[in-house]
Amino acid sequence: MAAVELTDLRKSFGTLDIIKGVDLAIDPGEFVVFVGPSGCGKSTLLRMIAGLEDITSGELRIGGEVMNGVDPSQRGIAMVFQSYALYPHMTVRENMGFALKFAGIARAEIDRRVDDAAGTLGLGALMDRKPKALSGGQRQRVAIGRAIVRDPKVFLFDEPLSNLDAELRVHMRVEIAKLHKRLQSTIIYVTHDQVEAMTLADKIVVLRSGIVEQVGRPLDLYDDPANMFVAGFIGSPKMNFLPARIEAAEAGRVTVALASQPGVRLDLPAAAGTAKAGDAVSLGIRPEHFVAAGTGDADLAVEVDVAEHLGSTSYVYADVAPGERVIIQQEESRHATARGRLVVGLPAERCFLFDDAGRRIR
Amino acid sequence: MTIARANGLKRSYDLNGWLFIGPSVALIAIYLVYPIFRSLYLSFYAGKGMMMKFAGFGNVVRLWHDPVFLSALTNTVVFFVVQVPIMITLALMLASVLNNDRLKFIGLFRTAIFLPCVTSLVAYSVLFKSMFSADGVVNASLLAVGLIGTPIGWLTEPFWAKVLVILSITWRWTGYNMIFYLAAMQNIDRSVYEAARIDGVPAWARFARLTVPMLKPVILFTTITSTIGTLQLFDEVYNLTEGKGGPSDSTLTLSLYIYNLTFRYMPSFGYAATVSYVIVIMVALLSFLQFYAARDRS
Repeated sequence: MAAVELTDLRKSFGTLDIIKGVDLAIDPGEFVVFVGPSGCGKSTLLRMIAGLEDITSGELRIGGEVMNGVDPSQRGIAMVFQSYALYPHMTVRENMGFALKFAGIARAEIDRRVDDAAGTLGLGALMDRKPKALSGGQRQRVAIGRAIVRDPKVFLFDEPLSNLDAELRVHMRVEIAKLHKRLQSTIIYVTHDQVEAMTLADKIVVLRSGIVEQVGRPLDLYDDPANMFVAGFIGSPKMNFLPARIEAAEAGRVTVALASQPGVRLDLPAAAGTAKAGDAVSLGIRPEHFVAAGTGDADLAVEVDVAEHLGSTSYVYADVAPGERVIIQQEESRHATARGRLVVGLPAERCFLFDDAGRRIR
Repeated sequence: MTIARANGLKRSYDLNGWLFIGPSVALIAIYLVYPIFRSLYLSFYAGKGMMMKFAGFGNVVRLWHDPVFLSALTNTVVFFVVQVPIMITLALMLASVLNNDRLKFIGLFRTAIFLPCVTSLVAYSVLFKSMFSADGVVNASLLAVGLIGTPIGWLTEPFWAKVLVILSITWRWTGYNMIFYLAAMQNIDRSVYEAARIDGVPAWARFARLTVPMLKPVILFTTITSTIGTLQLFDEVYNLTEGKGGPSDSTLTLSLYIYNLTFRYMPSFGYAATVSYVIVIMVALLSFLQFYAARDRS
């Protein structure tokens, strides 16, 4: 039985549709990340699961029970907010134990749970401080502790690391991953940061404009994106898209020529009926998948504009044609800096093909 | 050279600064600072009209034996002890209700509740007098509903006169205080309440254990300003009782007594100044107590 199950879940504000029919099953113990650009509805979807937003239509089940109209406190969930949402006038201990008093839990049991959570999160020395005396990372740990003490079936995280600085974000990301390993609980985590999504998730749900674009394991999304949006969203720096045309189509394969450099041709797989000669398509290749000239299936000549050197890696920003920018990742390549021509190889097995509606052709 | 210029510049800035604040400082000195010291000086003098002579603490001794002062003091204390908590609680509850975005006509309600404190004092006093007269609309309504058997003497019975004063100042100032709470509530992060809701904190506890403590600084501020306002209560009583504080001094406040001592009876400036200082001391003492009670214990 799924821990959380969404069936054709929809949300509208008046005539504006925010969530346009989401179907999703989350297994017990699974770490699921909702990712997408701002305004894609990921937070709204999470808040619908939490019960903070009404569900316009569809069905929400948590632990097998329909939860559509159930009060948030009765759904067996706990939520961690981006703003931490700590009670400013209470100490860390009070913050964590406050809600338990209303659940009719005995004082000794509350203390035990709070101390356990504090131990898990390393908050022991901070228990008598108030939130304003804590750093951002400590506040977020308290917020997580407040969720843990409730012993929920499902944890909901709404962009919990967005208010932290870059270094702390990496640290807390690792902490959350460790916590999930230890608690083995179901977690739904919302972020706009695809790195967080890739590193934390067992399963990523990519959302755009209230629609699920793709659901899958992080590397499946990276290796096998369903469309141009997912291909561009997952991976950093993002995938390069080059305008191209289908030159010829035959059983299961197409020949593609770049629009700006028709001499660059690639033979790619395409199921019958998905593309025909003359179609405008986009050829996608990730910056890290370019190879040395002559070792790929075709060579691409580019004008180098700028190169960024990060030590182990360099990012070369180059133009295939005026206004048609690609990013090429090169390992240990300090010399590829000079402006001028650069020739790189395109391996056909690393290239993706998308039709003009952004759908994958394979 | 540079230092000399810097000095010149500094002097010029200093002069400009003083010129800017000069008019205000002069006005404050004439109408605030001087009267404060002058009244302190006066409070050591006794006598009627211009015939005053030094009396030391004679006026303070007189306070203890003055039944009118004692009843004015008692009335004032009753007014603030009863009225301030009622008004603050009411304002908090109204703010809490009007902070809900789902309520319809919310702007109308907010305006309606705020409006009394910007209406003309005399106009509303006259209206209140008419509404609460023996054959006024309030008595008529209460009789019609059957809540009372005989008309209430709002303006003629000491107890009900006090109730009327409390009612009118509550009506006038609740909306004013509510605006402070509403502003403060809108600054509270909504997710704090959402977190509490998810964690199963009941609505009453969200109000009593989250909202109220988070509004503590504003509540302290409004409590102090309301307390000071009530200690200085004059306008309503003056208008409702034709300046007498009746019936039988039951609504006489310290401020009204000061006014009467100075302008209504044979002027007794020294004694009036002493009574003023009673208000000063009470305001100082109560404000200190409120700050002390509301201090952050961590």
